[in-house]
Order: sequence, then structure tokens, then C-alpha cells
Amino acid sequence: MASRAASRLIPSASRSIRSLSTVSSTASKLVSRNALASTPVARVARSAPKFLVGQGQTRSASSDEGASTMTVREALNSALEEEMIRDETVFIIGEEVARYNGAYKVTKGLLDKFGEDRVIDTPITESGFTGMAVGAALAGLRPVCEFMTWNFAMQSIDQIVNSGGKTYYMSGGNVPCPVTFRGPNGAAAGVGAQHSQDFSAWYGSIPGLKVISPWSAADCRGLLKAAIRDPNPVCFLENELLYGVSFPITKEELSEDFTLPIGKAKVEKEGSDVTIVTHSKMVTHALEAAEILEKETGIKVEVINLRSIRPLDIDTIIKSVKKTNHLITAEQGFPAFGVGSEIIAQICESSAFDFLDAPPERVTGADVPTPYAESLEGMAFPDTNVLVKVIKRHLYRQ
Amino acid sequence: MRVDEKLTLLLQITGPPPNVPPKHHTTTTSTPLPTPTPLPIFPTADEKGRPLYVSGSQAERMARAGRMSSPLRRGTHESWWSSEMGWFNAVAKTIPTYRVLDEEGHLVRGSQTPEISQDEALAMYRTMTLIPIVDNVLYQSQRQGRISFYMQCAGEEAAIVGSSAAMLAGDEMFGQYRESAALIHRGFTLDSLMAQCFGNVEDKGTKGRMMPVHYSAPELGFHTITSPLATQMPQAAGAAYALKLDEERQGDCVICYFGDGAASEGDFHAALGMNSVLGGPCIWFCRNNGFAISTPIIDQYAGDGIASRGPAYGLDTIRVDGNDALAVLSAVREARRRAVEGKKGVLVEAMTYRVGHHSTSDDSSMYRPIEEVKEWSVVDNPIHRFRAFLASKKWWSEEDEKKLLAKNKSDVMRAFGRAEKLPKPKLGEMFNDVWGVGKGEEVPGVIMEQRAELGRLLKKYGDVWEPWRRERKRFVEEGEDVMDCDGRGS
Repeated sequence: MASRAASRLIPSASRSIRSLSTVSSTASKLVSRNALASTPVARVARSAPKFLVGQGQTRSASSDEGASTMTVREALNSALEEEMIRDETVFIIGEEVARYNGAYKVTKGLLDKFGEDRVIDTPITESGFTGMAVGAALAGLRPVCEFMTWNFAMQSIDQIVNSGGKTYYMSGGNVPCPVTFRGPNGAAAGVGAQHSQDFSAWYGSIPGLKVISPWSAADCRGLLKAAIRDPNPVCFLENELLYGVSFPITKEELSEDFTLPIGKAKVEKEGSDVTIVTHSKMVTHALEAAEILEKETGIKVEVINLRSIRPLDIDTIIKSVKKTNHLITAEQGFPAFGVGSEIIAQICESSAFDFLDAPPERVTGADVPTPYAESLEGMAFPDTNVLVKVIKRHLYRQ
Repeated sequence: MRVDEKLTLLLQITGPPPNVPPKHHTTTTSTPLPTPTPLPIFPTADEKGRPLYVSGSQAERMARAGRMSSPLRRGTHESWWSSEMGWFNAVAKTIPTYRVLDEEGHLVRGSQTPEISQDEALAMYRTMTLIPIVDNVLYQSQRQGRISFYMQCAGEEAAIVGSSAAMLAGDEMFGQYRESAALIHRGFTLDSLMAQCFGNVEDKGTKGRMMPVHYSAPELGFHTITSPLATQMPQAAGAAYALKLDEERQGDCVICYFGDGAASEGDFHAALGMNSVLGGPCIWFCRNNGFAISTPIIDQYAGDGIASRGPAYGLDTIRVDGNDALAVLSAVREARRRAVEGKKGVLVEAMTYRVGHHSTSDDSSMYRPIEEVKEWSVVDNPIHRFRAFLASKKWWSEEDEKKLLAKNKSDVMRAFGRAEKLPKPKLGEMFNDVWGVGKGEEVPGVIMEQRAELGRLLKKYGDVWEPWRRERKRFVEEGEDVMDCDGRGS
């Protein structure tokens, strides 16, 4: 498979277009099949084509224009595209990923570029396409399996945990299962209890799975590319509210060779008074809180963006706690048996425990199913103000 | 005129096709229902009496989609308008069961012997007679506490070996758990099989990490057995899709085994749905052995078996006598041809009977009379049926039978004795392969910590505490391999 020439991309893409047009010419005069097949969603011209590589496009990313900005959505899209060009065995499977361009438009334009064999709309059966992704990985491909949201992946969690996560070990290290499971995770806005759950802790507890919870556009590009190249099954937990957020991005981060190591956290902001360990959207709130506190009270907050939930970069946290002597974890998941609980437990077991000047604290989502009403939902998740208050109290400044 | 051309013509008219007989005719359905529902008037055969068959390769599916004349008809094969409110609960009369040999091993009237050479036939027979002995020895050893678990395939030898014999060396195989005979027929040695069951140092497939019977043999295209039921099915659909994409593997095929109980799992429907829509050469081989642990099929499904579900997914389907090795062989060969040529799924339902208990955790005498089991193993014994065929061909004699049984027994006992004496893999294997580690990457810290902790404890207590001193001796290197570094907190 790997030896197949990259030129195959072109015939496969053109073949799918041809077959569609043949179909439409013989179809009824009333409604063309194409019209029925494609959704009414307008095909928006790419806002930042310079990040995308494809036929007939030049990569101005490596030109002298220098650093710029990029949304998380574009970062994910470009990472997927580059990995599909780099490796013929990479393909995308899921609901609405092809014609609809993905429920959140992360796979926009990929069907046109890579054809129906590599960007695959499936019947609505999570256990089916997740199982197919696992099976295709066992047979030598590198699938990217998109869930419309991670909440729906519970219908196929057996395939992810019991088959994907364990086959390598159970097969005596003979059969790897390199699948990237990805999709939006955690609370969005006004989608109620069944669409608002954070699964970091769920998948983070499974030996054999790698779990990534990225924040910025650079995180998403570097880590998604690393996840696809990784020989292990990786759960890539995106955040719906971050998809449209723009982040500055450097030339280096736009390079098609750019990857970030899985299992390494990033100190987003250095500080000396308290360590905030957080991931995904809460990184934004932690940075905002740090800025407010620094301006108002002079408290210098160190913000650690976990990036990977598993393997967990506990060494970076230990180092930081030894410096600041205070630890607060911040996440949108439930408190019980969560990511914060695990970090605090590991810190208490480590050599950093003796450096703590106060009991470590968790800031988490409320321990109730997420309410739908906007006002209640707002209260169910921590934000910048909550973090500011907690940090002040934690440092006895209130 | 070809059948599918005819169907194209049928599409262009409204109203029933002209060759449909004018009168109602009533048929009973497979299971006796309280009020037998008459079948609607479907044309089930063309005017020459050949069965109407909606050909279903992926290319043909696309072509059919193009022929669908209006959006209202999207989603049906070829339907016509009818003023009659025709209810139905089957699409054909009870699905027949294909067989070549009768219970006594004679060719049934009108049947065609599949092309089979003496060598092929004898190889099948050797596996079919070997597996009961393997099963017997390992089953007894579980009862004596020498291994933790075992599952036999008694009664299903013909279904498993016949289907395996129809597959080629490059094919992929997904088993449920009762397919050790298929694995042996593919060339898995008795030593490897025993090594897996004992989890000893020669267990290359699972390195002592899996329960007995959960074989893994990637070199033979045999995927790791998973305990959760039917999860292999969507994976098989995925492997079939991978074959479809891989230009170097055109002509290869997937076979996926499952039982009548597994067909009640959502994954069964997920897999058949995915495979029928996305394509990829796959044989769905159902071993309908009458029981899901203790649940008989009468409590498992109400329709006409598993085969009736094939047409619902647009799959070519056949029901075959699972105790007839020749029928299974020829049906699966044809299934394989259709799957590979059409790049699609094909469903085979093999009707058989589970003579053994479900597993060593089960005592089937609690839920079925022992007479029933005896009757099956005497009246419809797959091994006896095949042997009678071999004898009729003059390929087999009493003499050969005696020699083979003696050889099988001594082979199995030798492999068993050898496997039990071999030491366990290195203790450190417990920590390997949790995550694959790429070039230049480190093994995750959490693994190294645990390994070092065990090493520390072994250093401290491995020689002075009697239970550990004894236990250490069972492993290659006696645990020395994990004692190479100090544990945290030591």
C-alpha cells in the first residue's frame, strides 16, 4: 500500500467526479441526483488558502510573508490534508465527513481533493464505522475516524477501548492499531446534558490509548499530525467552541514537517506564585485570569497547557509546583475521578508534595448533568472569573 | 435477455410486471406463526424458472442508483406501484439448505461434487479428526486446573474446516472464538496452539497476555480473538475495505466467523450495513449451532434464521448444511468468488449443532437433554459423513483411520507435555507493548515506573519470601530482566 505512487490521488479524485456526473445525466428531469446529494450548505471559498496544499496551489506558507494567524478549524483541516498527501494509507471515515464537509467543516474540501475512497461518508452507525476504522488499521491502513461529537462515540466505546486500545498488547506486540479517533469534546453552547460531556478522564484511564486535548491552532496542527503518524490508537479531543478561534501561528508551525511530541505539556505562561494545570478551552480562561491577576494584584500565575492527557507529562507539573508551591487544576469535566483528581493524586505521591504551601485544588465543571438553559449552563462550567476568585482565595488574597 | 436488464425494463413501467402469475398463492413462512401471513406476489423467478437475482457488486449498485427514476424511489431496488396492500414477513419461501452429502455421506441426488483433490480432501479430514483430540486434551486439562479456560468446537468441524479450506493463503480471517480448527488448517502448529493456551515462552502470538483460545497469528492472516461478542464484525468490514483500496491485494478476501447469538448484537447489523454500502470482499460466515451459551435459537430470533437478513442488506446469501464439509467448501468457494469479483460482502449461514459445552464455564446438560446431543453426534456426525465420502472415493481405509488416530493422539500428547513444561515468558513482557514506541521515542514514564517498582520488590523479597522464590522459577530469566533498575521510593 505504502509503495503506491502518490499520483493515484488524481485518477481516484477524477473518477469519483466522473461517476457522479454520469449519474446526474441519467437521472430524472425533476430533481438531479447531485442536487439531492449535496447539502444546501454554501461552499465557502477558503479564507486562508495559503495554509492548504493541493493540486495547483502553491504553499505560500513557506514564503517570506512570515507569521500570521490561523483558526483551529483551518489548523485541523490543513493537518489532515498534509498527512493524507504524505501517506497514502491515511483516510477519513465518519458521518457527514465527505459531501457535507464534516459536521463542523473540519474536513472541508478533502472529498474533492482525495475522492470517495479516502474521505468516506458512512451509514449512521458509530459502532460500525469505528469498528471499520479499527479493522482497517489492523489490516495496515491509518484511518482517521471522526465522531460528530465524542458524546456519540459512547455507542462504539467498546471498539475504541477493548479492541483499539488493547490489540497491540494482546497480540504480543505483533499487530499495531494506528487509528486517530477525533471529534469535538466537552461542553459547547446550549446542547444539553447528552452533548456536553468531557471524556478526557474516560479515555485517559485506559492503558494502550493515547489521549490528546489540544488548545491552540499550533497544538492542533502539531499534535494531529503526530497522532496520525503515531503507531498507537489516539483519542484526539477537540473543542467545538475553539474551532472558529484564531491563533497566531509561526512559519515553522506551518511547515508540513511540523509535529509536536505527544506526552509533553507546554508552559504557556511562566509565573512564580501559583501553577494552573489545564487543557483545551480552559487554557484560554487560565491565561485571561493570569493577565487580570497580574494587572490587579501582581500575582504571577504559571499556566501549563497539558496538550496530552495520556501519557501525562507529570514531570513538567512537578517542576512547576516546586517553583510556585501552589497547584490548581482547571478543566471542564466532572470533578469525580477526573483529570484534576489524577494530577493532584500524582503530585501528592511525588517529590513535589513537600513543596506545597497549600492543599492543591481542583476547579471543574459542576457535578450535575449539564443543564440546557443558558443561564444554568453558564453556571455549570468554570470561566475566567471563577478562576480569578479561586486563585485569590487559594493564595489568601481575599 | 440478462436478468438485470430485465429488471431495468421492469423499472420503467408502473404496475406489476407482465409475467407475474395472476392468482394469489399462499405459502407458509419459516417459523410457524399464529396466523400464517401469505406472501405477496413477488416474481421470484424469470420465465425460464431461474431465480431472479439482484446482482450486487459495488459497480452495479452505483449503476442501479443512476437508474432510479425519481427521488421518490430512491432507496429501493426495483419497486413498482401496487394498488394491493400487500403485507409480508419473508421475501422467499423458507430458505433452503444446500447440501452435497446426506447424513450417511452419500451424494444427494442432483448434487455436484466440488472439485477436490485427494490431497485436499485428506488434509481437511486430518484437521477434522485432529481437533476433537486437541479439544479433549485441553478440556480435560482445564478440568484438572492446568489451564484456566477452554472452548471446544465439537460438532462444528465440517463448517469450520470446510470454510477454511475454501480460503487462500493471502486471505484475512476474523474468528469469534470457536475456530481453532480453521487456524490449524491454515498451518498453525500444535506447538503454537498449546503455547497460547499455556501462555508459555513460545507463545509468540499473545506472549502469555491472553486467555486460552484467544489466538493471534498475523503471519497466517488470523486476527486476534477478542472476548466481547461480535466486535470482530465491523473490524472485518474495515479489513475488507482496506483490501478494496489496496491495489496490491486485489483478489484477496476476508472471512469473518460469528455465531447465531452474535447476530443479535448491534455490531452484526453495523458490520453488514457498512460492508454492503462501502463494499470490500468479505464472507460473513455464520455458524448457526443452535445455542448462544444456553439460549436456544427459538429464544434468539423469530425470523427465518440469519440467512433471511442477508437480502435486507443486499448481500448474496446462502444457507448451507454446516455438517456437510463438501457443501460448506463449495458454498464458501463460490461465496469467495462473488465477494472478490464484486468487491462486496456475501453471507453464508451454516446450519450445525454445538455438540460440546459452550466453554469450560458451562455445563450444557443443565439446559438440553443429553439424548439430543448424542443423537446429533451419531445421526449427523460431520466427521463420519466426510469419512464415508472419502471411503466411497477409495481414498480412505480402516487401516488409514487407525494410523491417523494413533498419530493424532501421540502428536497432541507430545505437544501438550512439551508446552506445559516450558517456562513462562520473561516477567518484563508484562510491561511491553502497552503503547507502541516509535523511533527516538521514550517508553511512557508510567510503564517504566511500574517495571522498576516490580524490580525493586523482587530484589527485596524475591529470594527471601518462599512464594515468590517458587513463583520466579516459572519465568524465563526468573524476573532478573526487570531487576535492572531501582524503583522510585525504594
